[in-house]
Amino acid sequence: MSAMFELRQVDYRYPDGRPGLQACSISLRRAGRHAILGPNGSGKTTLLQHLNGLLRPAAGAVHVDGALMDYGRRGLQAVRQQVGMVFQNPDRQLFSAHVYEDVSFGPLNLGLDEATVRQRVAQALEAVDMAAHADRPVHELSFGQKKRVCIAGVLAMQPRALLLDEPMAGLDMPMQTELAALLDRLHAQGVTVVLSSHDMDFAYRWADDIHLMATGRCVGSFAATALAQNTDALGAAAQPLPTAVRLHTALAGRGLLPAHPLLRSVEDVLAALPLSSPGLTSTPLTVASPIAGKLAP
Amino acid sequence: MHRLHRLLAVWIERAASHNHWSRVSPRAKAIFALAALVAAYVAQTPSAALGVALVGVLVVWRGAGVPLRWYLRVAAGPLGFLLLSGASLLVSVAWESGGTLAWRTAPHALSEVAMVTARSVAALSALLTLVLTTPLAHLMALLRQLRLPEILLDLMVLCYRLIFVFSESCHDTLAAQTARLGFSSYGRSMRSLGLLVGSLAAQVALRARGLQWAADARCSDGSLRFLTPHFAHARRDTTIGVLAGLGLLLLARYLP
Repeated sequence: MSAMFELRQVDYRYPDGRPGLQACSISLRRAGRHAILGPNGSGKTTLLQHLNGLLRPAAGAVHVDGALMDYGRRGLQAVRQQVGMVFQNPDRQLFSAHVYEDVSFGPLNLGLDEATVRQRVAQALEAVDMAAHADRPVHELSFGQKKRVCIAGVLAMQPRALLLDEPMAGLDMPMQTELAALLDRLHAQGVTVVLSSHDMDFAYRWADDIHLMATGRCVGSFAATALAQNTDALGAAAQPLPTAVRLHTALAGRGLLPAHPLLRSVEDVLAALPLSSPGLTSTPLTVASPIAGKLAP
Repeated sequence: MHRLHRLLAVWIERAASHNHWSRVSPRAKAIFALAALVAAYVAQTPSAALGVALVGVLVVWRGAGVPLRWYLRVAAGPLGFLLLSGASLLVSVAWESGGTLAWRTAPHALSEVAMVTARSVAALSALLTLVLTTPLAHLMALLRQLRLPEILLDLMVLCYRLIFVFSESCHDTLAAQTARLGFSSYGRSMRSLGLLVGSLAAQVALRARGLQWAADARCSDGSLRFLTPHFAHARRDTTIGVLAGLGLLLLARYLP
């Protein structure tokens, strides 16, 4: 499948001279679910901001939908119509006093007529389960609700690709589950979803492709199902093995589960356990160390 | 959020968003408020002006259902200022020829001061009928219809939003400073206050850049466009507003 985004040898430096991206090359295929993982300061947000032209590389090239990014006013407008971005801190994204006003901001900038904008605002608020809060002032909302309004503000523009910077940060578990379901619905509609995260368990469970970053470098990209073959890259990005993989490996070592295929979530592993386990001994079950590279070969 | 209640703007927004008339057309409420403002000047006696003010209070309290406690909280500041201003018109402090300070009163100006103060109170009440029943988004929609320059509306949007964002930042920083004994003495308090101001100044720059990026990411061309709220019964509401306003004008004219 062709790439929605492609970065080729991209360099970027922050205004204070620190390196943001260093010779970063990465390809994100169209209509996929992509998780970008890396420690703090590894360049995840900087990478996302290159994908819709908020930042311009000092060297290298960014391609969107096969075309080289045009940093002229019209070129950027065209890209941003297609590529929506949800920022990590909702208070930095919401600038209108009321929910429906803020959600209407993007579609109005697309030059749509009022009836279409109203329809899109209603649909977007419905999609994030915030329709009942349409008339509320933004400052009365909780953090999670503000985040949902931010997502609605981008959904109302009906982008072909959605970039989310740490979307799960600050959300409780039910809200994280709802958001993951929403992202799956968007993916089912053909939207390319790219998110940055610290949560390896979520990324492994949810994403089709995992991309790893460390100190501004893109150190690895692989299908989530091939994670076990990429432990070196995980180590380079200081990322732990997912809990599900560690648990599965430990149980497989005890002969309680087949070693392959690796299951994607702890729930799947627990569901796969046989009801009676003749091989179970009194020896305590030890899960492999979270440090990458210790996965049994 | 828990210290935000100290902000006047929060009480105004709370009343404006949570009253029976928050979905009534802002045009109707603006017409009534304008009529009340004119009525304050039409009133010929202090009692008539105070009558107009009382009608305004009753309209907001009993009509729109804004709790009287909220109303008084918002009105207390400007009302205190008005009363102080009235008192300063009646009483003044001056140096006597002997080099001492002396109080001087102007009893002959009492009736004029009473009239001015009563009219001011009525005008305040008129404005509160609008701002305590109309969410800011609706007010801005009205101002857009009245062709207020876009730049002023954009500034209103950003300032209003940032009041809440910065009050939260301010509160968080104050709490963090207090927790580390930042206000345990006069000297430390001054230093903490200076650091707070410096930190807020830096945050202003960061927020401004963040908001610019957020606007750019949603295809902004510089102007902040928002959807105008739709009011299902705007015509009926406006008619009622006009009739109520006329009634108030007549009341002001003929009240003793």
